[in-house]
Amino acid sequence: MVSVNKGSKVAEVLIVGAGPSGLVAAKHLTQSGFDVVCLEQGERVDHGSYWGDKPEFELMIQKRWHPNPNVRDLESDYPVNTSESDVPILMYNAVGGTSIVYGAHWQRFMPSDFRVQTLDGVADDWPFTYEDLAPYYDEMEAEIGVSGLGGDPALPAGKGPPLPALPIGRMGRKAAEGMNKLGWHWWPAPNSIASRSFEGRNPCALRGTCRNGCVEGAKATFDVTHLPAALKHGLRLVAGARVREILVNDQGLATGAVYIDRNGRERRQLARAVIVCCNGVGTPRLLLNSKSSLFPDGLANSSGLVGRNLMLHPYSTVVGHFDDWLESWLGPAGQPIQSMQFYETDTSRGFVRGAKWHVLPGGGPLGGPPAPGRPFDEAWGPAFHQNRDRIFGRSFEWGIMAEDLPEEANRVVLDPELADSDGIPAAKIIYDYSENTKRLSEFHLARAKEAMEAAGATSVTVRGLMTDRSEHNTGASLRATGHLMGTCKMGNDPRTSVVNQWGRSHDVPNLFVYDGSVFVTSAGFNPTGTICAVALRSVKHLIADRRNMKVAA
Amino acid sequence: MSGIIDDELRETFVAVADILIPAYGAMPAASTVDVGGAPLDRILTLRDDLLETFIRGLAAMAGKEPEGAARALNESDPGALATIGLVASAAYYMNPRVMQLIGYPGQERRPIDPDAPSEYLQDGLLQPVIDRGPIYRPTPEQST
Repeated sequence: MVSVNKGSKVAEVLIVGAGPSGLVAAKHLTQSGFDVVCLEQGERVDHGSYWGDKPEFELMIQKRWHPNPNVRDLESDYPVNTSESDVPILMYNAVGGTSIVYGAHWQRFMPSDFRVQTLDGVADDWPFTYEDLAPYYDEMEAEIGVSGLGGDPALPAGKGPPLPALPIGRMGRKAAEGMNKLGWHWWPAPNSIASRSFEGRNPCALRGTCRNGCVEGAKATFDVTHLPAALKHGLRLVAGARVREILVNDQGLATGAVYIDRNGRERRQLARAVIVCCNGVGTPRLLLNSKSSLFPDGLANSSGLVGRNLMLHPYSTVVGHFDDWLESWLGPAGQPIQSMQFYETDTSRGFVRGAKWHVLPGGGPLGGPPAPGRPFDEAWGPAFHQNRDRIFGRSFEWGIMAEDLPEEANRVVLDPELADSDGIPAAKIIYDYSENTKRLSEFHLARAKEAMEAAGATSVTVRGLMTDRSEHNTGASLRATGHLMGTCKMGNDPRTSVVNQWGRSHDVPNLFVYDGSVFVTSAGFNPTGTICAVALRSVKHLIADRRNMKVAA
Repeated sequence: MSGIIDDELRETFVAVADILIPAYGAMPAASTVDVGGAPLDRILTLRDDLLETFIRGLAAMAGKEPEGAARALNESDPGALATIGLVASAAYYMNPRVMQLIGYPGQERRPIDPDAPSEYLQDGLLQPVIDRGPIYRPTPEQST
């Protein structure tokens, strides 16, 4: 039996998901006087439970603090079937969402990212431009406390990050020297990691444990940056609330959601409007699970595009090994420097669009788990020591984040058999690298190898696109990226998009999507900065337009 | 010795660990830094997801000549040998003596001075990038 949430009144706005976009929305709505309930399937994270200041750190990030939910396998996670995907996924289910384990690369997209059809004849243009979004980038950078250096010639002139850049260290300097020899672009990278004390956060101390729990309290996670203000202004946060479906009335308006609490009870939270912020996998999963007589194919899905156009940012790296002692376990990780030298389209290369590069530290001596079946004499015995002497403290990588163009065949569907621990059908990902991605990756790997050699690397290790799907659910995919974007595309035409430029469903006028699902294209940048800027733009429009919003009675 | 695994498997682990991580130059063999003692129990307690595979691999090697058994396991059950290697490596690299020998202080704090001038601005490292100017394509038209 479904019971109405004890003591709950009908909320003005129900937000599903307390990750970055959900908490940006919650903060701004509550500050504007809205009565808001936020349902989050995960729990609050005890930042004291991180392992970054303990000797077992490298061991624990291969399981408990792994960014892939299928590896962590926590009760608060839901399984995702990636057996038909070339790329594993990255997400964390908790208050704060994936910001708990993200790398804190706080990027802006470039102007061309919003005009790929006009400039390159592929995919679609976004319904707004870089210039339209720039004020929201500025505001989010100020809210988050981004550290970086203004004036990057890869972006239009602007305010620049509010906090000084983090040090680039020996690794960043070594990489930069190589880029200078080649005449290629590099720049001290922007990180959502405080370089000085900022609104309750401590300054970074370069532990290099950013992606698996920042023990310094320097990395911006949204349970720290946005939740307190939202709670202060009246947000009702319900953690451990796993939403099964969005409810609709006879008029086709959203009326709330059914969720399952951690005692296994089904509950109902009613609301006049619903904002879904469950990420590029969780949002289409929830909408597809919200079938009704009015919406037999899932909610907001008249276009048939809910779940389609999944983009995951295929990732490849070139690791350089140097004679110099680089202390390459140090942070930020995070990123010391980045390059957009090969970001823009040059069709003579045989592909369109490009990739952002970033330097990442080599990490500690344990590294990832050993590859099963590696020839014995290459891994063990004297080779164990020789490998470490060659790599540890002397290696870093150029990570290559390829722009992933939307293709309808790459998609999130409901798995016919797999379900989460509450019996809710799980998501299955069907995703293949495109030919453009393969060519792009091959080109960029060759250039990154040149960059490493110019920097003085004595040897390089090239790690191309992941091809072994059997590694998806093991710690072996520790560094693999799977940003989740595109599965509820925004646009002006209801036939070819799921939501409008403000994140409002074309089909259900009081249903909104604010997470990375709405991305029209993926760009080649880490997405959280743009997810938040777009969410901020959307929620500010909702607030300004509140009197005109059609709501459930 | 008692603990999370029995004495026979523990002895097997230590013997195999010395094959995987032998003495080399200044570096000690695994057994000499107590990888089979308290560190082993701590690792298997923290990572109980490894236990089943770990024990399976050790059981297959128990009572056999260590190097031959380890090489054979790498062929017959590579996942088990990899798990045993991970546990041995983790115990080895958490040892303070080993950390000191390889120059690794752990993921230690390295406080920064955010107001210190950046070297790359002072010594001109970044200047060529600045001098080359913009590298982005501007928005071709403004939204209406």
